[in-house]
Amino acid sequence: MREEAHRFGRARHLVGISGLPEGPRGETGVIVLNAGLVHRIGPFRLHVELTRQLNAAGYPTLRFDLSTVGDSAASGGQQTRAQQVCADLDDAMKLLGERAGCERFVLFGLCSGAQNAHVVAATDPRVSGAIFLDGYAFRTLGYKLRYYLPRLADPARWARRLMRRAGGAPATPKTTPQPVFAVAPAPREEVIADFTGMVGRGMKLYLVYSGGISNYFNHARQFRECFGKVMSHPAVTTRYAAETDHTYILTGDRARLLDGVGGWLSRNFPPASAGRHP
Amino acid sequence: MRLDAEMPFFFGPDAGLFGMYHAPSVPARRAMLMCPPLGQDLIRCHRVYRQLAQSLAEEGMAVLRFDYYGTGDSAGDSAEVDWDRCVSDAVTAATELRQRAGIDRVIAFGARLGGSVALTAAERARFMEVIAWDPVLEGDRYVAGLDAMQAALREDAGRFNRPRSHSDVADQWLGFDIGQNLRHQLSALLVAPANVPTLVLDSMPASPTARWERIVSHRGKVAAITPPTPWDDLERLETAILSHPLIQAVAGRLKEVA
Repeated sequence: MREEAHRFGRARHLVGISGLPEGPRGETGVIVLNAGLVHRIGPFRLHVELTRQLNAAGYPTLRFDLSTVGDSAASGGQQTRAQQVCADLDDAMKLLGERAGCERFVLFGLCSGAQNAHVVAATDPRVSGAIFLDGYAFRTLGYKLRYYLPRLADPARWARRLMRRAGGAPATPKTTPQPVFAVAPAPREEVIADFTGMVGRGMKLYLVYSGGISNYFNHARQFRECFGKVMSHPAVTTRYAAETDHTYILTGDRARLLDGVGGWLSRNFPPASAGRHP
Repeated sequence: MRLDAEMPFFFGPDAGLFGMYHAPSVPARRAMLMCPPLGQDLIRCHRVYRQLAQSLAEEGMAVLRFDYYGTGDSAGDSAEVDWDRCVSDAVTAATELRQRAGIDRVIAFGARLGGSVALTAAERARFMEVIAWDPVLEGDRYVAGLDAMQAALREDAGRFNRPRSHSDVADQWLGFDIGQNLRHQLSALLVAPANVPTLVLDSMPASPTARWERIVSHRGKVAAITPPTPWDDLERLETAILSHPLIQAVAGRLKEVA
């Protein structure tokens, strides 16, 4: 495996690290997008561990910083954020294509990275697969039932509430955690249409959602509740990791995530013939 | 912004160290080596390091940011981070900076353990000055603090739906595998004063200035920065450390000694 540092892009404003496997390479490269504002190494170096593990399995990779994130600058153009993301990914795919000969690409994104990967995957025919970690989701009726019913049936919770009403105990002040990572909402029908379009053109999808987003997602069934029957399509794989946090702070959780990603890639894009699908 | 003035590259043994060179906007007479902290502090400080590097390059300094072996974009696993290797990587990076910039006079900057590395490497790397932002001077207290935060992380209800097992959180500090070697090295760490001018920038919450006396009494001084930096706040573990006062303090110091 060899890593190369690049300044690249239409305005030479992007910074990234390509990872090139030794020996024969597949035609599918994996491109890793920023998670929130964390620079390209990823939360707790997740993206470094991921790309090196994939390089060892034969996949060329690129982890890079989108415009204005990490070490990358603004491109200087007058574009919306979505247009910028698409143009940045176009630059990234061209670079990895030049360095490794890839013709097809799998995008990997966590949180806002999943949202950005979704935007590109929905429109760019070179994207043949996507791995969305804690991407789009919606509070469904099932979510609310799973969230509220146990609380309604909890006598200790009722006792605390009654005591507060009677003035017997001061209410515990609630602190609002600062949002560090967040996925902006999109219309549900639009997201479903995007997923349907992706699998319709032969893309493979891997959705991994964590217990760290329990404020809007709390069960494996919620994939289907959110997005309907497209989640049962053979090209879609889902996994709900209730025990983990949003950014995989524990190394064992990270190792299990990376094993899952590696296994999904090898099943859907075998390195020897990676990318050879419609 | 001069985009090509910031060049990413690999250097050092087996080209395994990642660096980002900020070329000066005008011919430089001095250079700065920015030694990063370790662990999550490295990620949290990435943006402020970049801002400081850009600011200094605009003022006419050649600047090199880099990652130690086992950290950031450099080669090696997180569990392979080794204190002695970090110090020797700083020496290697100083040599690289001198070659790239064509300048012999190098000042070192570092936050937390990055400041400790800069102080420890000062003689071997021939730094002309060290600017250390809240450096770690006594490793045993630092290790105890990390252990306490890791123990609290196990039960962090803001992060996990259920407390995790002790084995789930073992042998790690806040997101990173740690080898026994590093634990022992940091536990025994007692940073000695550098035999060069030293400026400590103090933004530790409610810290008595006396804690720095051991390293600045000889050839240095302490300057306070406000507000305090939340280095050890578990709730802000993934929030970037940003500090305009820090950038102003470093730039001001460099103008003083220009």
